Amino acid sequence: MNAEARTGLAALLRQGVIWRGSSAGRASAAVISSGFPLLDEQTGGGWPRGALSEIFSPQGLGFSLLLPLLAELGRQQQWLTWVNPPHVPYVPALEARQVNTARVLLVKVRDTEQSLWAAEQALRSGNCSLVLLWVERVSAARIRRLQLAAEENDCMGILFRPLQQRRQASMAALRLQVTPAGGGLQVQVLKRRAGWGGKPLYLSCAG
Amino acid sequence: MRWLGFYFPQLPLDVFASDGEAVPLAVTRRDGGRDVIDRCNSLAREQGICAGMPLPGALALLPGLQARQRDRNRERQAMEALAGWAWQYSSRISFDPLLMLLEAGASLKLFGGFSALLEQMHQDQPCMDCLQHWALAPSPMAASLLARVRPGACIHDRGQLVEQLADIPLQNLTQNSRTLELMRGIGLSSIGDCLGLPRPELARRVGPELMLLLDRLLCRTPDPRPLWHPPEVFSQRLLLLSEINHASALLFPARRLVASLCGFLRGRGGVVQHLQWRFLHRDAEPTLMEQGLLRPSREVEHILELFRQSLERLELSGAVMEMELQVADWQALQEDADDLFPCGQGVQDEKFLERLRARLGSEAVRGIQVQADHRPERAWCYCEPMETAETGGRVSAGHARQPVWLLPRPQLLSLRHGRPWYEGELQLQEFSQRMESGWWDGEDVQRDYYRASTPVGRQLWIYRERRSGNWFLQGFFD
Repeated sequence: MNAEARTGLAALLRQGVIWRGSSAGRASAAVISSGFPLLDEQTGGGWPRGALSEIFSPQGLGFSLLLPLLAELGRQQQWLTWVNPPHVPYVPALEARQVNTARVLLVKVRDTEQSLWAAEQALRSGNCSLVLLWVERVSAARIRRLQLAAEENDCMGILFRPLQQRRQASMAALRLQVTPAGGGLQVQVLKRRAGWGGKPLYLSCAG
Repeated sequence: MRWLGFYFPQLPLDVFASDGEAVPLAVTRRDGGRDVIDRCNSLAREQGICAGMPLPGALALLPGLQARQRDRNRERQAMEALAGWAWQYSSRISFDPLLMLLEAGASLKLFGGFSALLEQMHQDQPCMDCLQHWALAPSPMAASLLARVRPGACIHDRGQLVEQLADIPLQNLTQNSRTLELMRGIGLSSIGDCLGLPRPELARRVGPELMLLLDRLLCRTPDPRPLWHPPEVFSQRLLLLSEINHASALLFPARRLVASLCGFLRGRGGVVQHLQWRFLHRDAEPTLMEQGLLRPSREVEHILELFRQSLERLELSGAVMEMELQVADWQALQEDADDLFPCGQGVQDEKFLERLRARLGSEAVRGIQVQADHRPERAWCYCEPMETAETGGRVSAGHARQPVWLLPRPQLLSLRHGRPWYEGELQLQEFSQRMESGWWDGEDVQRDYYRASTPVGRQLWIYRERRSGNWFLQGFFD
């Protein structure tokens, strides 16, 4: 490789246009550790900030993956907004796991359209550090809107979606498939920034 | 004393027109047993309608003309609404027909001079261009006369009064036909002509009535007037010129009511947190809508924005003919010390919550908090988002063995082969805890809790009721 090509390559690397396979395991841009070292390794450091993540799972499970993240973000004076959670959050148990439930804002609405609206408002408000949304059906265009809202306002959004929809293309920065396995969760990274996920992980994090 | 007079020549029309839609409109009055046009809007005037025209003639000329009987009752209400707004500038307000008079002399210093006062009034006038016809004069009668005849006149001194009023025709001062006839007979047409005559002789000929008017006009005798006092409750109705079918179209007329409310509140030094809207239909019960604010406010735009979002939830039971805004429980403004950084987190939070609640309803957006009870179904409750109590000390290490999700109420599990069943036969993983509580309030529980897993591996929190032996599902760990 001659000198000219090398400087050109260096410039491209600096701009972040090219990524190297060898750096796949390392933490890239802005992420918050998930609290699970194995998962951090496969996702490039944890949950991406200012972006949307998707969790595909049967019956909305996989929430317990977020407990360390919720505990971390609950220290800030911003809302943790939960839109249409599948059940009642059991506050004493969450508190016992260091989640500051005083910052939890529950939004319960009837239809998908309203829940998407509420999630987007929350992402755009600048008052939320995290927005969780449980949703049955959502179009790629709406996900794009949510992703843009998260990006523009440097807010973190996490969508819980049915397992069957994991094949649908989406703009989300991180996509995980979560299934129950032997008292814990099996997590497969479907998509991440600057790299690919590895083999399915087994995390014993159920509650 | 300086009296500021405002003349509202369009008021009889304005009480009807409110939806921005441009239609030729006229109001009529009874005159000698028939309806004649009292006044009309510019659109009607362009098409040849003019005051004094008989109604049938006007309709023949312009079949699309909307004609309404003049409604003095509504005019009085509208005037009072304006007075409610003006109350913030002066506490001495009086009325003449279609005229509002404010004693401005006492508040000139507060507002930094007359032109500053007038500018401020113009800037926050409750409806567009309604303060065009104004005049300032030392006597209320002169202010009233000048506002009608010579809008924009500004007389600070008594000395200038005679000079300024001299060429105004007498019929603007009095409608008494006998007096006018007499004056015409002796060749006097203007106020100046009268003032030029020797007073005793004039008084002998025209009687005391005109003399009293002239004296009051020129501040030679006092002009006692009943002063207006604002009501305790704000309530205002707006008749819509055409019926409104779509909730979103209510926004435009609502602006007028909200602007009027905010003026009223500023005048009284109050703020509002609950607004009651009533939408009246032709043949259905009125639709009611409550609008709540997280923090008391009197900002027109803020209230309107929330109103706009509330409209999306509103289901009208028919076309709206009339709308009403009522505020019974306004409160005095508590002036807080301003923050060094005004738009703090608190305010931002409230705006965000208000926006969500306006569209989704207030029961859709809640916080959640711990209640001191061992029974899981009673260990939590919903609360106002900003008012979550301190949870310190109410959570024990034992809670860490309980699941993060709870069913709203325990669900009875069926049994198969003597084992609890949920999406398959459940495997009991570990004994969690024994709970005995609540014997004091009649809802005692005696339960043995277990962690169980379904065939696919979901982690459940189930219990066996010790008295009945039934199994219940109460929560999920994952």
